[in-house]
Amino acid sequence: MSAPAAPAAAARSGATDAAATPRSLADRARLVADVAAEHAERTDQEAEFPVQALDAMRESGLLGLLVPVEYGGLGGSLGDLLDASLRIGRADMSAAMIFAMHCQQAAAVVKHGSPDLREELLPDLAAGRVYLASVTTEAGKGGHLLSAESELTSDSDSDQGLLAIDRFAPIVTGGAYADGFLITLRSPGATSPTQVSLVYARRDQLRITGSGDWQPMGMRASHSIALQLEGKVPGHQVVGEHGKFSRIATEVFGPLAHLGWSACWLGTASGALSRVLGLLRSPAGRKRFDLSSELLLTRLSSARQRLDTVHALLCHTEEVVSSSGDLSTPRNQLLLNALKITAAEQCHAAVNDLVDAVGLRHGYLKDSPTGLERALRDLRSAALNYSNDRLHLADGRLALLDPEVRLV
Amino acid sequence: MEPRFVELLSGFLPFLDGQELTPESTLSELGLDSMHSIDLLFAIEDTFGVPLPDEDLNDTTFATAGSLWSAVQAARKAEADGGSAGAVAAA
Repeated sequence: MSAPAAPAAAARSGATDAAATPRSLADRARLVADVAAEHAERTDQEAEFPVQALDAMRESGLLGLLVPVEYGGLGGSLGDLLDASLRIGRADMSAAMIFAMHCQQAAAVVKHGSPDLREELLPDLAAGRVYLASVTTEAGKGGHLLSAESELTSDSDSDQGLLAIDRFAPIVTGGAYADGFLITLRSPGATSPTQVSLVYARRDQLRITGSGDWQPMGMRASHSIALQLEGKVPGHQVVGEHGKFSRIATEVFGPLAHLGWSACWLGTASGALSRVLGLLRSPAGRKRFDLSSELLLTRLSSARQRLDTVHALLCHTEEVVSSSGDLSTPRNQLLLNALKITAAEQCHAAVNDLVDAVGLRHGYLKDSPTGLERALRDLRSAALNYSNDRLHLADGRLALLDPEVRLV
Repeated sequence: MEPRFVELLSGFLPFLDGQELTPESTLSELGLDSMHSIDLLFAIEDTFGVPLPDEDLNDTTFATAGSLWSAVQAARKAEADGGSAGAVAAA
């Protein structure tokens, strides 16, 4: 978030026609946000995946944001990812989360992929040909990231070392539209459910059966459905070492999830506040609302204060993650969790304040240009997405491990 | 590794299933999760009378039986040398 301009790499990328023209990261993110905004009302209404916004991410080069320049990507930083997520989130939280979670997957391949997998996959990611979905949830494990029930099996006699995947996943964001998947499975020959491997599978390597309907309160365009995945992949598509997924979780998945989600939520709440302020300051708004009302002013202040708090915490956490060697220490874990919990609570609360501030017509009706109704429904998911309750339990234990209270 | 350390640690490893615990045994694979690491830490402090210093509380220390045992030994040595490692426990 510290780099306001586009990465220098962006200008050199020739991955796609669109990316051949030098464009700033802000331009690319704005392009995606504009497309997302244009379709958001319909994709929300119909609970449909934002195909047009994804196409814009492909064409703008943003799907390859974190891919190094030598593979044709934009070579973007963590700060670039957060800036883009925040910008897209102002228009549509579902599209922003789809983007942020794709980048989290891409980062895992960049950092932990085998040389063969990187050579195969990174150019496709950079060119926008591959949208990655994450398959880490499993029925019966209650959202625990670091264990797996379905096993990756190895049949070296008949399949020349191919690994067999047969896995049910109860909730896969964008699963029906993904070009590839990163899937957690119990390692071949594992003796416990905590020996987990992460494996990449292309869509054409899998037989995919979708099941169930997607009719949530909010985040409706994230189209997160249940999938049964079956197929075989060669050994080099394992990301990181067999059984060592926890390392990827600590170094990549955890920090990028909490930072990326928080940026999306902050974007959505910022967009909501911006639209409310635009309404209040318009000639019609100034007639309709009493801008000297102390109650209104206090509510605006409170919403803004919440967003500044989250923004400060987001920037600080980004800096710690970018500069810290070991994220597994209690105080670093506490900070990452505090960001997620705080962003989830405060972004939702800010929009909730705004509903009171502008009242029934512009706070509660779907067709208000403020979009508060959709923003509030979308943001309600934030506390449930890797549940705040569970994070508080983890944080209580982590707090006990830092009796000196050494804040980072 | 001292037998009492092996016995203590084994109690936190639900997937050990009678296998021999060696210094190379990976604790997470044997079922030690972050939720129980704190209980293990308290048990170590109670048994060996020393707290592990804050800087040792990371994934590297808790990676294997051997890495954890090394940290315990280092903490005991620091205590024996008159270090201030006990201050945290007393706080």
